[in-house]
Amino acid sequence: MGGYGDMQMIDENGLRVDGRSPGDIREITIETGVIPVADGSCRMTWGTNEAIVAVYGPMEAHPRKIQRQDRAVLDVAYNMAPFSTTDRMRPGFNRRSREISKVTKDALESVVLLELYPRSKIRVTIEIVSAEAGTRCVGLTAASVALADAGIPMTDLVVSVASGKINDVVVCDLNKEEDNYGEADLPMGILPNSGELVFLQMDGNLSQEEFMEAWQYNMDAAQVVHEMMVEALKRGDSQ
Amino acid sequence: MTIPIVPKLLRAHLSELSGKNARIDGRSQWEGRKLEVEHSVLPRAEGSARVRMGDTIVLAGVKFQLMQPYPDRPNQGGLMCSADVRPIAGRHWEAGPPSPEAIELGRVVDRGIRESGCIDVDSLCIIPGEKAWQVILDLFAVSDDGNLFDAFALAGIVALRNATLPAERFEVGKDYPLPVSKTPIMCSYHKVGGRFVYDACAREELGGDERIHITLGDDGNVHSLQKGLKGIFSTEEFTEIMTNAQGRTKELRKIVDSL
Repeated sequence: MGGYGDMQMIDENGLRVDGRSPGDIREITIETGVIPVADGSCRMTWGTNEAIVAVYGPMEAHPRKIQRQDRAVLDVAYNMAPFSTTDRMRPGFNRRSREISKVTKDALESVVLLELYPRSKIRVTIEIVSAEAGTRCVGLTAASVALADAGIPMTDLVVSVASGKINDVVVCDLNKEEDNYGEADLPMGILPNSGELVFLQMDGNLSQEEFMEAWQYNMDAAQVVHEMMVEALKRGDSQ
Repeated sequence: MTIPIVPKLLRAHLSELSGKNARIDGRSQWEGRKLEVEHSVLPRAEGSARVRMGDTIVLAGVKFQLMQPYPDRPNQGGLMCSADVRPIAGRHWEAGPPSPEAIELGRVVDRGIRESGCIDVDSLCIIPGEKAWQVILDLFAVSDDGNLFDAFALAGIVALRNATLPAERFEVGKDYPLPVSKTPIMCSYHKVGGRFVYDACAREELGGDERIHITLGDDGNVHSLQKGLKGIFSTEEFTEIMTNAQGRTKELRKIVDSL
């Protein structure tokens, strides 16, 4: 959280820098089956974010020490490609991508029926090839679509959306400028059929009322994105 | 990269097909797979390309940085080319630092581009001895169904040809297109079932032997060669694929020029 409101980002009509109303999300496209050699895959664009996710497995878990006798293990890796950011990103893992990999894994393990595949491994690779703001949300959402595309049984899809605050106004789905100069960011991972959560982070400064408003924006946006995910999966299935 | 077990049955099958002058996916000996090339596909890169050859898909992105010229070449900028094949591209590719296979990919593509002289490194100098542009070409595999070499080389040159130097962002003048004067093109051949074929798919790579990569420039001059994997080849075999490469690189250059 950078400037703490020293930059005016909501105009006199209450519109944001890219012309959206506070509750609007950016444009989204979802496509499945984009990696021919993978068992399941998804390409998702969200604003100028673009994530590509591959799912391989269930397959043999090696080395053997990672095997679990009663369930499958999920191997989740989130990575940003070197050309995904304005300044080139040095390749390789860093603390940020490790943390995002971990929380994404924790979210997906909550919905995948791992006990159906004991001693095996399911590999989920999330690659951000273009980053704007909210890449962890795009990655997690696309990963759940890719798992469904691979035919891995899950209790629900996961929709991840972030809301935040700029110039004391609560807004849904922060873009790059809003993320840089905003005062708060609340990303959530929502199960659209039950309204339950599997992923939650927050940083910044929100009052109780603002927090509830951001929470509700995320819940509402999740329903909209969920419809697009289901539609993409049905479209992919018919091909 | 885990080395997959090479099924003896696959090798026998490829050898039998080769005897009938056939290939596992129905192509003829020198036929390439269906090719799709797009440029300017990545919003954050200064130049980019996406290449699809059959089920092999790759991305290339160009980024620029300001560097201090090397002391022995104060009037030159730099070119860096790196390839990374991450676990997204196939089940045998594993996480971790770049594997020897990925490093070989990056270096062979780098040599073809560098040695062709398509990028004039002198023109990248801003203030001699102090400030110059470094061109960084990152190659990224999305789906590996064989012959990443040719896909990377093609995506790389297309991305460079469509790159813009972000001079305004770095406050060193106005943005301008990266001058790329030549179009080096790579053609790769794999020994499958005892004979060389062009543009091998993953099953041919798996059940095949050595491979040879040839990069040719606009005038047909050779800019880089690489022999990879275990295997023996003769002068006659090399002459045959070199002749084929002369023709195929011209066809591919026409496609690149038409973009």
